[in-house]
Amino acid sequence: MSNWRQSMPTGEAYWLDKVLYELHHKPDDLEQFRKDANAYLERYPLTAKMKAAIVENDVAALYLSGVNPYLLRAHCIGMRIPEALSLAALRRAGETSNG
Amino acid sequence: MAEIVGIFAASHTPVMLQFPDAIPARDREEVFAAFRAIGKDIATARPQALVILSDDHLHNFFLSNLPAICVGAAEQYPTPVEHWLKAEKRVLPGDANLGAYLLTKALESDFDPALSMELTLDHGVLTPLELAGVAQDIPLVPILFNCVQPPLPTMRRCYRFGKWLGKALRAYERVERIAVIATGGISHDIATPRMGMVNEKFDRELLRLLEAADADGAVRFATDHVSEAGNGAEEIRMWLAAMGCADARPFRIRYYRAVHDWYTGIALGTWGAG
Repeated sequence: MSNWRQSMPTGEAYWLDKVLYELHHKPDDLEQFRKDANAYLERYPLTAKMKAAIVENDVAALYLSGVNPYLLRAHCIGMRIPEALSLAALRRAGETSNG
Repeated sequence: MAEIVGIFAASHTPVMLQFPDAIPARDREEVFAAFRAIGKDIATARPQALVILSDDHLHNFFLSNLPAICVGAAEQYPTPVEHWLKAEKRVLPGDANLGAYLLTKALESDFDPALSMELTLDHGVLTPLELAGVAQDIPLVPILFNCVQPPLPTMRRCYRFGKWLGKALRAYERVERIAVIATGGISHDIATPRMGMVNEKFDRELLRLLEAADADGAVRFATDHVSEAGNGAEEIRMWLAAMGCADARPFRIRYYRAVHDWYTGIALGTWGAG
């Protein structure tokens, strides 16, 4: 058992982390993302699947992809995803990754 | 020569400010009263500087540059860095001289913390100070340990850094009274399937080892069992650093409760003066 899905971020996790970081720290990014999420994500080298996970607030897919948990948590609060939804998605992701 | 007039430890979580109503009013009041009691002790100790051992939750630092340990040496610290945190925006005073002294002495003593004169502090620093009612009052020196993105500094390294810190603070000559507060932990999981599950057994054993002033035992226990207590429990690095700072003085538990709906084993305690 480990507290971490990755002992170092993979290249893919790095870019996902970068999106989650920049969205909540760069001055205009959140607004641009809210206006047109797909256009905003064009600037990052992400697969279509990963872009969809971000656009759809798919907390389970983001967790399973290995994003940093603190960036994911801050993203959930910052995007006002209801707590019960995030928790349910995480539990579901746990069942997926164990099964 | 400065005196360390108090060493304190307290859990932190943004949900205390963000979702206070997630737990029953009676429990919330109990937790908040415990923070106020610690705040009263800090105020009574009349420190001229407060060294706060905490972690940056990937706000100031990112995968571009992520220090294992960073010492702040700024004259002021804006807070909070989280745009979503339910907390008043303000600027906390810093003790830049003490921060600079610690950086210099650390490097002379073969520790290699990073320097920062530009930290916008997050809930990890703000929450405990705010709830204790001592934010704004006392010039701060934040020391931030990486507990949030592996690879992490070892538990032993953090304890040893704390031990060195205690000595360095006692040798400081520009102020007479310094307090230390460690914040983070105890057991909790952030954004994982285990989120909301508190490992009370882990928490109580760690607290027991702190009370027994068993540094070797606490470091070993933390190293061997942290993965049973969640990624948020990695923050016990700061508690171990405070234990090192206290230099074998025993710890007194002031409060503990496993607060599942705040996702965290919440503890507060003190090491007393010396």
